[in-house]
Amino acid sequence: MKEKVLTKNFGLKNNFKIDVYLKHKGYEAVRKALREMKPEEILEEAKKANLRGRGGAGFPAGVKWGFVPEVDKPKYLCVNADEGEPGTFKDRFIMSHDPHLLIEGIIITSYCVGIHQAFIYIRGEYEAVAQRLEGAISEAYEEGFLGKDILGTGFDLDVIVHRGAGAYICGEETGLLESLEGKRGHPRLKPPFPASIGLFQCPTVINNVETLSNIPVIILKGAEWFCEKGLPKDGGTRIFGVSGMVRNPGIYELPMGTSLKDIIFKYAGGMKAGKKLKAVIPGGMSAPILRADEIEIKMDFDSLVEAKSMLGSAAIIVIDEDTSILDVLKAVSKFYSHESCGQCTPCRIGTSWINKIVKRIIQGKGKREDIDTIQRLANNILGKTLCPLGDAVAMPIGSITEKFRDELESSLSR
Amino acid sequence: MSPEFSAQTKERIKEIISRYPRKEASLLPVLHLAQQELGYISSEAERWVAEMLRIKPIKVREAVTFYTMFYQEKLGKYHIQVCSNLTCSLLESEELIDYLMEKLKIETGQTTPDGKFTLSTVECLGACEEAPCMQINFDYYGNLNKKKIDSILASLK
Amino acid sequence: MVKIFIDDKPVKVKEGTTVLSAAKQAGIPIPHLCFHSALIPEGSCRMCLIEIEGVPKLELACSTQVRDEMKIWTKSDRVVEARKGVLEFLLAEHPLDCPICDKASECKLQDYYEEYGLFESEFKEPKEKRDKKANIGKSLILDRERCILCTRCVRFLREITQTQELGVFNRGIRSEIETYEGELVNNNYSGNLVELCPVGAITDADFRFQIRSWFLKKNDSVCPLCSRGCNISIEFHLGFARIPRKKRVYRIISRENPDVNRHWICDLGRYGYSYLDEERLENFLTINEGKEGNLDWEKAIQLMAQKIRKLYNTKKTSRIALILNPWLTNEELFLIRKIFREDLNLERIYVAEPSQGEKDDFLLTSERSPNRKGVQEISFKSKEINLKEIATNTDMIIIFGHYLLDQFDSGDVKAALDEIEIKILFSSKDSELNAVVDLVLPTALIAEKSGSLTNFEGKVQSFEPALEPVGESLPEWQILLDLAKELKINFKYYRQFSSPAVILEKMKEEIPFFIQKND
Repeated sequence: MKEKVLTKNFGLKNNFKIDVYLKHKGYEAVRKALREMKPEEILEEAKKANLRGRGGAGFPAGVKWGFVPEVDKPKYLCVNADEGEPGTFKDRFIMSHDPHLLIEGIIITSYCVGIHQAFIYIRGEYEAVAQRLEGAISEAYEEGFLGKDILGTGFDLDVIVHRGAGAYICGEETGLLESLEGKRGHPRLKPPFPASIGLFQCPTVINNVETLSNIPVIILKGAEWFCEKGLPKDGGTRIFGVSGMVRNPGIYELPMGTSLKDIIFKYAGGMKAGKKLKAVIPGGMSAPILRADEIEIKMDFDSLVEAKSMLGSAAIIVIDEDTSILDVLKAVSKFYSHESCGQCTPCRIGTSWINKIVKRIIQGKGKREDIDTIQRLANNILGKTLCPLGDAVAMPIGSITEKFRDELESSLSR
Repeated sequence: MSPEFSAQTKERIKEIISRYPRKEASLLPVLHLAQQELGYISSEAERWVAEMLRIKPIKVREAVTFYTMFYQEKLGKYHIQVCSNLTCSLLESEELIDYLMEKLKIETGQTTPDGKFTLSTVECLGACEEAPCMQINFDYYGNLNKKKIDSILASLK
Repeated sequence: MVKIFIDDKPVKVKEGTTVLSAAKQAGIPIPHLCFHSALIPEGSCRMCLIEIEGVPKLELACSTQVRDEMKIWTKSDRVVEARKGVLEFLLAEHPLDCPICDKASECKLQDYYEEYGLFESEFKEPKEKRDKKANIGKSLILDRERCILCTRCVRFLREITQTQELGVFNRGIRSEIETYEGELVNNNYSGNLVELCPVGAITDADFRFQIRSWFLKKNDSVCPLCSRGCNISIEFHLGFARIPRKKRVYRIISRENPDVNRHWICDLGRYGYSYLDEERLENFLTINEGKEGNLDWEKAIQLMAQKIRKLYNTKKTSRIALILNPWLTNEELFLIRKIFREDLNLERIYVAEPSQGEKDDFLLTSERSPNRKGVQEISFKSKEINLKEIATNTDMIIIFGHYLLDQFDSGDVKAALDEIEIKILFSSKDSELNAVVDLVLPTALIAEKSGSLTNFEGKVQSFEPALEPVGESLPEWQILLDLAKELKINFKYYRQFSSPAVILEKMKEEIPFFIQKND
């Protein structure tokens, strides 16, 4: 792809410094948005751009902003920088190598919705990244892009970097809100939705880092241009994170709809020496697994739904034939039982039960009916939990036990 | 009874609390600061934080026991956290964990007798492009192998 | 109002009603564990999932509001399967404690398994081991293996008592209900947690291993230990064939009343029931036994009427003193007014003051008697009791209840009573006062009679006997009616009163206060 949108500054030296950023059209979008555009116009552009959430759920950002009511309460923006989905590391790159791009996106979004305080909820493990963000935010304050009366337009905005402390569930939007309010990260019942009742019971917009980082280019180049960069209903580029048994793991900014096969074999260098492809997880661990013969697929939200998987965080994990699928199952069941918040029955007990069965199978004490049990339990979790983590565990486990049943059975004692 | 916070830490904590619209929202950042200074969250720290935030101590402990990055006991000087999630295990992080256990002569979850190293396994660190990875305190190390681990540990005084 | 369909049954409910509430109104039960109508819906047990036509996922009945024309299925295949799924998860990590668990036969998990489960266990893994006997405060014992983390206990302490002694520590399957260091549950409503807990996780040391709950009989009553008049149920057992019973009452539980105590009772009322079975007076007592012979009610009433008549006929009723108490029912107070103040023209009617206590912000009042307001409304003004004054001016004293001992030193009471020639006591208790009077008539307690009490807010609450009176004891209203008929001063008037209910109806004619709002 010739023209990079999100990663254009990644190769620059000291790219996180504001003077470098300003030299490369930095903060022009903020200037245009705050000085030349009305909030309603920005909302229209965001909607027309068909920018779908880059965190995992893929909800259209403009539509989400439009849900925020006009009430006599302060409004908040929470930037979801929790990046806990296994296989995902793109937001880390954005925040490390172009923090000002994110800050620009935050400013424009806040101006559009009428928000004067934004929190960047960043996972606690990303301490180095958090410090870099704080440095960039300091610079932005100094240059007058944050704080009171930004660029003399009368618009105020404060940004706080808020560190998490090791809980995947705080990447779920209402788990994030609870955590930001100083509590355990227990997701809330929806409705009500955060757009109306969110942080401190006030209207709140929650967007992923990559989602917001797309806003400046939408302002500068327009929604139409953005759609052309991707697909008509799925605008823009996507940062695909490839890891696993490929030659060149890393991030690849490509148009929405690029073929998965191309991403693996054309861009990421193909399989490591001597390795054959067995399976791919296309959108972070929560996405149902694809067999090697299923990778002729376009990487966009709708195509993956059709293939009974999901684009999610666009984190592509490449699995080779020398890896036992049982080990994949083990990693999946261990992760979700570790991360379950424990609030609702199916997830709290189901993830642990499945994990216990998998452990027993690995110890060599598994039976055929254990695979049936695992599938049945996954089904009893699917769609029945308080938050999407239930689906996030049920769907991958369902797909692994379905598509690789033979291999799993062959690893059983009887 | 206030824990052994330096005046500087106390000031930083008060400053952080003041930036939030509600005091109790500053709980996680305040706990991070407390832990940086004390090495863990003691019950004196819990009570002190609770009072500063005008919440009950039980709410503090509810959070401390929920989040994996808060500890109720002091760990070693260097907390070695090796990722055991999918990509890293594809790239054989389990072997490296075994290697570390052998090298340090401890099991995961334990601290070396000289108090220098604590070894843990963790879930995805978000650095999968450099798998297998580990985090020591707040520093990330990737593309690990036994040799690299040897030299990293040797460099930690 | 909106119209909805639940299992094809049309139901009309107010806008904003939840599916669970609407189904309850329609008489269709939907199983639920974490939901409680007094607490904010939590939605975590997932037991109440139901199917709504046109909605792809199953939804929670406890927190989904109905909309006009909504069609709800509570027994479709998907719902039945989901329910079984939740039950299976809960039972997987639940210890098989039923044979030793107090909650057996009152346990939601048992009930729901019986109704919606009935499957074999497929859980072959080691169950989580946890503390089974944690002391979490007062008389509460927490069994963390039985706990299903519905968090009703945590939420009750957060939302109702606002004392927050319990919290959830750890995460995922390791989650447990905990207290903070030594700060255990320590409020006056701790007993409600036992009722709230849907399973046998929180049990009461007071009740633990005492008796199987299915042996208990349950009758409604009103708590008399303060002036709130919380509605209660008394659970009792009258003994097995060949095992002598030590007590009747095993447990007091709350009874819902949205106007008085909502769903709760305080620990004072819940655990303070020993007076029902201990130190009871079951028989007549006379100082000069033998002189009056073995007493029965006929003889006792005759004796009493004789003594009163003597003073009445000689116009010496000013030498009669009456000591009442605010534990008497409205009907009894009314009869006393009729007989003693109106028929006999007695003026010297005093009201004993039982002890006051600390009130709390919730149910417990500082007034620790149930009918002070009744005493006021039936216009007995509290005349201050001066023992010496009474002693000098009285030839005959009739005392209702042992409450003088709460107010005065027993030595002073004895000294005063020694100066009075005729002393008659109505009492339910084996107290020190019994030895100081001439005649003690055994009376029934509020739990053993019918009648009504007026709470401090002016609400009149009628009740029926929950227990039978013990031994020879009778309710005061019955004794008073017999006495009135024996006195023959206004015989015809008292003939109409066959029961306290009839007395209450009469009271409404003569004292308008007793016409209540819902009459």
